Order: sequence, then structure tokens, then C-alpha cells
Amino acid sequence: MLKNLNSKHIQRFSYKYLPQFPISPNSPKLGFSRSQIANYRSNFPTTIMSSSKTIVLRSSDGETFEVDEAVAVESQTIKHMIEDGCADTSIPLPNVTSKILSKVIEYCKKHVETPNADEKVAEEDLKSFDADFVKVDQSTLFDLILAANYLNIKSLLDLTCQTVADMIKGKTPEEIRKTFNIKNDFTPEEEEEVRRENAWAFE
Amino acid sequence: MGANSSLLSQDSSDGSTHPAKLKLGDIPESCIALVLLYLDPPDICKLARLNRAFRAASSADFIWDAKLPPNYHHLIDEHLTNTSTKLGKHEIYARFTRPVRFDSGNKEFWLDKRTGGVCLSISSKAFNITGIDDRRYWNFIPTDESRFHTIAYLQQIWWLEVEGEVDFRFPPGTYSLLFKLRLGKYTKRPGRWASNNEGVHGWDIKPVQYQLTASDGQHAVSKCFLENMGCWEYHHVGDFVVDDENASTKIKFSLTQIDCTHTKGGLSVDSVLICPSNLVKDFRALL
Repeated sequence: MLKNLNSKHIQRFSYKYLPQFPISPNSPKLGFSRSQIANYRSNFPTTIMSSSKTIVLRSSDGETFEVDEAVAVESQTIKHMIEDGCADTSIPLPNVTSKILSKVIEYCKKHVETPNADEKVAEEDLKSFDADFVKVDQSTLFDLILAANYLNIKSLLDLTCQTVADMIKGKTPEEIRKTFNIKNDFTPEEEEEVRRENAWAFE
Repeated sequence: MGANSSLLSQDSSDGSTHPAKLKLGDIPESCIALVLLYLDPPDICKLARLNRAFRAASSADFIWDAKLPPNYHHLIDEHLTNTSTKLGKHEIYARFTRPVRFDSGNKEFWLDKRTGGVCLSISSKAFNITGIDDRRYWNFIPTDESRFHTIAYLQQIWWLEVEGEVDFRFPPGTYSLLFKLRLGKYTKRPGRWASNNEGVHGWDIKPVQYQLTASDGQHAVSKCFLENMGCWEYHHVGDFVVDDENASTKIKFSLTQIDCTHTKGGLSVDSVLICPSNLVKDFRALL
């Protein structure tokens, strides 16, 4: 079969069959039907099909997670580490526990799988995923903010910060202190100073 | 961003630094600042009073940099030349929420506290009013009702023409231009202000015309009858769009009623307001 492979075939298939991520039902249309793909796969059982590398991430408590590179590079921090060649064995993430890292991976996977809001249904689906994603206890939410900041995942950071901002908005300082258990550590002089500094916003 | 440099609150009374019980009071200043970025300036200032970490986070430059208009450097260069000390972005924002006068004190601009949008007010003293020199037609009346402490009052005239212009570096956005007008004037009776509608006439015969022209060719014209205006009202002249933050936009506006078959009078003209279009209803609510 291979002797029938000429330059035309290689040109036609090579760039189309090196997708960024595994072909899934939600992938953008590549112009080949499933049966054509299956037929090609059976005739060319080499690894031209998918070039997705996997990356191993190690959480602070020693657990390892194997993820597709495309998912891992949602994090700019990890992306730079890979580009700098520091990702040969595994990438240690000493600031992120396994509990949080698994949630972050879940978020990145979903966002990589869903095409860029081209279809209304996909957009709605992603929105509702995001809304459910942040329905966690306060402590987990703040851990996610810290992780998103450390891993430099802008969309996750936007989502988590906006969620906390919405929780704070419209509450009086006393209510916020109670809800989030924040201690007032100002001296009376400092308190007066802060009030004066910020009086312009309430004039 | 430095999530590694955490600033735990000094009185962790439970003694343990177990990461599982992370509370809002414990997250690093830099992360508090990230959350504050998503709130309005009045909320940020309210939260600055919570505790030391919040106070420090609320003055982070990057937060206020995002709230200031993109061309705020031009505004500083042109209008805040007398400040010798270097102001932080937080202070710059606070300073600009107080009106800044320019053009011999006849115009002023300020930032809307909540949105950071640039608003401008132009006094009637800066207008080019036909017949302003003749006391039979127009008078300037000192009053506290105006932010410029003067309004122009029309006694009576055939040819009503009020024009003005402003040249300003508006940040990109859509702005509305409005005339602040009233039919009638307030006169002081012992102990109280009373509205005085004597002399109001001629507005129901033909409408007045408003016109707005921008230096890049944008143009708006509208007509409306002035009626039932015992109180101040903002009359919408038109909208204009600014795209370029580096260019200065020159706006010309006018209010005319030049049908000389009848006289009109009894109109009080306070000022012209230019504000982002989404803030017009807030200004109207203040009247």
C-alpha cells in the first residue's frame, strides 16, 4: 500500500492529520467523514493521526496527573516551562494541591474541548459549566484564585475573581467581615486615616 | 504577580496555618487586589476599610490603571500642571473625580466615580449668545443653582441663537450632549425660592432646533417644543462617538429659534453637559 503513497497524498494528509488535540465529536470539521478516517487509520496505522503529547503534572502532595499538552498549555506558566525545556519528566507544582489541581485540569479540559464560542449551544454549555464550576465552598474558591494566578490561566482567574467580587458587591463592610470572617486590625488612628483617604468616593 | 509572597493576617488566632481553612482574610494582598479589579471604585474604597491587607490591596496601581481613562496622561499634562509631587494612580483617580476647571474657569471636567467616564460641563458664560450684550434681551443672573454660579436668562428676543464649542481629548466611547434648560426663573421671596413664570412666552408656536457637529464630521440635528418646564431639564442634542484616544475632538453645538415672526422669552440656560451616553439617566435622576 505504501508504494501508492505519493507526494500528493502526503501533502494532503500531513497537515490535516496533525491536530492540536485529539479528534473528538466537538472538534472543528476537518472535511473527512468518519468512515474515511477509519479507512485511512486502518491503512496507515502509524502515528500520523495524533501528535498530542502528554505532560505530567505533580501536585504539592506528590500526586501526578497526566494531561494532554493542549490542556496543560492553557496555563501560561506551564507553557513557558515546556518552551524552556523544563518539562522532560514531570512539572512540579509546589503551590497547588491535588484537590485543586484536579479541578483546574477539569476546567482546562472543558475549555480546550469546546470550540471558540462559534455556536450558540457550545457557548451556553460552557457558560453553564463555568457557573457550576464555581459552586464550591469559599476556601476552595480562594485556592482556585491562587492556583489560577500562579498557573497564569487568565480565563479561570477572571471567572473566580468575578465570582468573589459578586459575593462582595453591595454588602456593607460589617456584613463582609461577618460573611468572610475578616478581623479588623486597624488602630483607631489608622481607621480614621483610611476613612479620610477614601472619603472622595462617597462625597 | 507573586502569589508566593503571601501576607497572612497578623492575628491568625487559631494558630494553625493549615491551608485547608483558607479564608478571604488570609489570601495574599496581590490576590485581593485581583478580586478588587472586578469591583467599582466606590466598592473598592469601601473595602479598603476592612483591614490592613485590604487597604494595601486597594491602592495597587494596576487596579486604578484599569479604571482610569486610557488617555489620562494627556489629561494630567494639560490640566494638572501645578501638582509637583508624583501622584499614585489611586490619587490621580481620586483627584479627577473632583471637577477640574479649565478655559478661564468656564468649563470643567471630572470622572464619574463609579465608571471612570469623562463628563464635561460648559458654563453659559462660555457660549456665544446673540444679543447677550443687550440687557433688554439677555441677563446673567448669579445663582447657586448652577455649578458655575451663573445662568443666562432670556427676557425676550426674536432671534434666539446660543452657540458654543469645546475642544477636548475625550477617551474613546459614545457621548451625549445635553442642554440644561428651564422655562421661568426662580426669584427669592422672603425666606423661600418661588418659581416665577412671568415672561415665559412664545415656545409653543415653533420648535427650537438643536445642532451638534464634531470635528470628524459627525453631525446631529433635532427639533423639539419647549413646554411645561418649570424645573431644570436636560435636553438631548445628540450623540457623538470618539475612536481615537490621542486626538482632540472639537465639538460645536447650538440652540436656535430664529423664526422672527414671534418673540420668545422666559428661558433660563444653565450649561451644556457632555457625558458618556450610559450616564445620561443618572444625571437626569439628579435633577
